[in-house]
Amino acid sequence: MSALVGCGDPETSSIADYETSLDVEQLMHYVLEPAADIVWDSAGTIATLEGVEDLAPTTDEGWFRVQHAAAVVTESGNLLLMPGRAEDGNDWREISLGLVSTGTALMNAAEEQNADAIFDLGGQLYNVCVACHQRYWMENDQ
Amino acid sequence: MKVPNLTIALLAALLPISSAQAHHAFGAEFDPNRPLLIKGEVIKVEWVNPHAWIHISREMEDGTTESWMVEGGTPNTLLRRGITRDSLKPGIYLVVDGYQSKDRSNRANGRNITYADGTTLFLGSSGTGAPRDGADPRDRPR
Repeated sequence: MSALVGCGDPETSSIADYETSLDVEQLMHYVLEPAADIVWDSAGTIATLEGVEDLAPTTDEGWFRVQHAAAVVTESGNLLLMPGRAEDGNDWREISLGLVSTGTALMNAAEEQNADAIFDLGGQLYNVCVACHQRYWMENDQ
Repeated sequence: MKVPNLTIALLAALLPISSAQAHHAFGAEFDPNRPLLIKGEVIKVEWVNPHAWIHISREMEDGTTESWMVEGGTPNTLLRRGITRDSLKPGIYLVVDGYQSKDRSNRANGRNITYADGTTLFLGSSGTGAPRDGADPRDRPR
């Protein structure tokens, strides 16, 4: 509750403590990856010999779903910066903030229902993922 | 009832790849000790993040064909290398070299593609842990 008590009060919000019940791997699996998947699955095309299917949403509800997923991506960057999850204050911080900025741009693109921007930013989101995996995870995956 | 391998391969080719399934390091899904060459007609292209997927009717030595799926880099990186949605479309003939999946299904991680006119371009992703086989121009010599 201390985080709630400190909400909006600059004097106390900086000393709020956290209970990071999910570790980083769980945060990836249950929070960030499902949101990123929605973003990635919402732009692009599937071409066959019969024709081309555009994956962009066609309804306001569909676009809201993308915007919601982008919001989760955005705040996942902050969740990664919380004490108990952050590996360091250098590359980890920079990459996490990259997630925040890319997620914010995705939210704006979804609000504007701009499928091309969602597609381009989806590639940017993947680059942020790869940068982090290369730096902190890839060696253990081999 | 035993289901023929070809039937499984055809069914697999009809299913879209979920982003979650597609988002991984090379070593998590592909076998660096199983390089392979795939030649045949492109029957489907998933121009999506985080990886483009090319479905090919692979010509086998006995004259039959098998449906294979080849993973590429993000569409944005492919565009920068000259691989476009227009140049990579169903109906064209391609030669792909890559590595087969660890589960021995008809899936591969693509490294280079060669078009019918002889043009060869790098198809893969950088920084995923794929073997340094000379295909990726961004690989620094050890």
